[in-house]
Amino acid sequence: MSSLVEVKGVGKVYPGGAKIAALAGIDLTIARGEFTALAGPSGSGKSTLLNLIGTLDRPSEGTIAYEGRVVSSLDAETLSDFRLRALGFVFQAYNLIPVLTAVENVEYPLVLQGVPARTRRAFALEALDWVCLSEYAERRPDLLSGGQQQRVAVARAIVARPSLVLADEPTANLDSKTGAQLLDLMESLNQEHGITLLFSSHDGAVLERARRVVRLQDGRLKSDEARPR
Amino acid sequence: MLRLAWRNVWRNRRRSLINVAAMGFGLAAIMFGQSLIISLQLQLIQKATGSITGHVRVQRSDVDESKFPDKFMADPEPAAKLFAEDRRIVAWGRRIQITGLVSSPSASLGALICAVEPEKERILTDMSSYIKEGAYLEPDGKGIVMGRKIAGRLDVRLGEKVVLMAQAADGSMGAEAFRVVGLHETGSESFDGQIVWVPLKAMQEMLGRPGQANQLAARVVDIEQAETVAGDIDAALAPGNVRAISWKAIDREIISIQAFQNGILSIVLVIVFAIVALGILNTQLMSLFERVREFGVLMAIGARPRWIVRLILAESFLLGLVGAALGLAAGSALIAYFGRCGLPLPVGKAFSYFLPFPSVIYMLPAWRLHALACLSVFVITLLASLPPALRAGRLKPAEALRHV
Repeated sequence: MSSLVEVKGVGKVYPGGAKIAALAGIDLTIARGEFTALAGPSGSGKSTLLNLIGTLDRPSEGTIAYEGRVVSSLDAETLSDFRLRALGFVFQAYNLIPVLTAVENVEYPLVLQGVPARTRRAFALEALDWVCLSEYAERRPDLLSGGQQQRVAVARAIVARPSLVLADEPTANLDSKTGAQLLDLMESLNQEHGITLLFSSHDGAVLERARRVVRLQDGRLKSDEARPR
Repeated sequence: MLRLAWRNVWRNRRRSLINVAAMGFGLAAIMFGQSLIISLQLQLIQKATGSITGHVRVQRSDVDESKFPDKFMADPEPAAKLFAEDRRIVAWGRRIQITGLVSSPSASLGALICAVEPEKERILTDMSSYIKEGAYLEPDGKGIVMGRKIAGRLDVRLGEKVVLMAQAADGSMGAEAFRVVGLHETGSESFDGQIVWVPLKAMQEMLGRPGQANQLAARVVDIEQAETVAGDIDAALAPGNVRAISWKAIDREIISIQAFQNGILSIVLVIVFAIVALGILNTQLMSLFERVREFGVLMAIGARPRWIVRLILAESFLLGLVGAALGLAAGSALIAYFGRCGLPLPVGKAFSYFLPFPSVIYMLPAWRLHALACLSVFVITLLASLPPALRAGRLKPAEALRHV
């Protein structure tokens, strides 16, 4: 598999009175089509690394490259464009826009891309179909369950066909059954549609589903384990 | 973007409604203030020019006081010809205004004697409309019209005679008896208690000034053109000591009152705009703090910082649009109501000492000013939301997503 993301010597220090090194010396390569989990206890640096790979934050040291292009030093506007076209995000707290319906939430990345209304609605409905939520397309988030909201978030993350979907503790707010269903969904998106997925979790049952588990501890890479099925 | 902005505006319905109501009320108050001041000024100008001043006057340029020119024009006819030929002038007339003495068998009083061409004066001013007893002047004969107050002080009634005395052309004291043909009541102390009206011809004879006048007054079709007309007439007059001036050079106190009122109105506008701006700023800041995480999400899915700025400005624009529409509707309704029913104002009594001035103001819309106020509300709304918008645009996605 070809390399999609290359993280080289990345560290992150948060400014403040006592400077805290959240990450140090991280080297990691994510190949296209992978289904990778970032594991580690709370405070190990999982979310920080996801934010850096997702270009939501900048590393204090080192570089992050996508398909050979270093993105960690790009300006804010260029990074926005990059995220818009290359990345999808799923957050722990779903983070849907409450005033928009499910389908409007899903189509929003396409709105930002300037895709014509009819096309983007078709793509959004297709994405909702992939996550089995077509019938809830016109509902607002407050009328959906937590699991449904997270599936809408997944649909939003994949609607623009990104190279990489990043999910930060996507099952943390869900019960175990709904969490398992979401993982089924993510797995099928990875296998059937070839979407590269990188997600963080500290739940052992969730990590069991990943084909590669990268473990972090105290901001450093502890292990990188492939799990062929 | 507009759809999202519109829904965001109504996300906190109560807050937005309060905000829109505050903007609407502010704009309606501004419109009401503008209309009141403009209506008041318009009425003041109409009453001043319509009762005595006229819109354009020709008089000697060396008079001490342009309001009451005391020096006579040797030959007013060239100016009269210019007035008669100007199609922008609806009515004009020769006049003599002179201070003198009015005497009855029981009293003598100082007064301003206004000698006019009655048939022209009926169109030039509205004094004939204030006659309460008898009739207005006729061109010939020796009739006199005066206010009920001065008649009361002189203890004369309709049909009785009074004697006018004023300095004649040769320096002697000219005197003539005039019969009271009409009594008016304007509500103005000055007009009802200090001015009398007689035919021009009789006064010219009394003063030994046949064909002479100390002013020519004209009424133009459009008062806005008064200065232009005065300028044109002045330019056409032969060089000498006669000049044409507009009412603005005569009733200078009205211009001062206008400037004062406009100044007060500007201060009120600034205060209202500041209140509106602070309201918007407060709303948008609260909205920003409530939605920091959401902006983080939008940035994460690819929204550019400037897109976030535009979104917040669009929300303010829509808020401003609704507020302006509400204010425009409320302000127009208020103005229409007081335009039809009138607004009783004690200020009318203050002005009526000097002029026949009504104590009820019928309000008129000042659309150009109202449009400017609407536009200002928009601009203020956008300016007030700029700091929160720029602040949102500077958010860092990761930090925004961590915001609780």
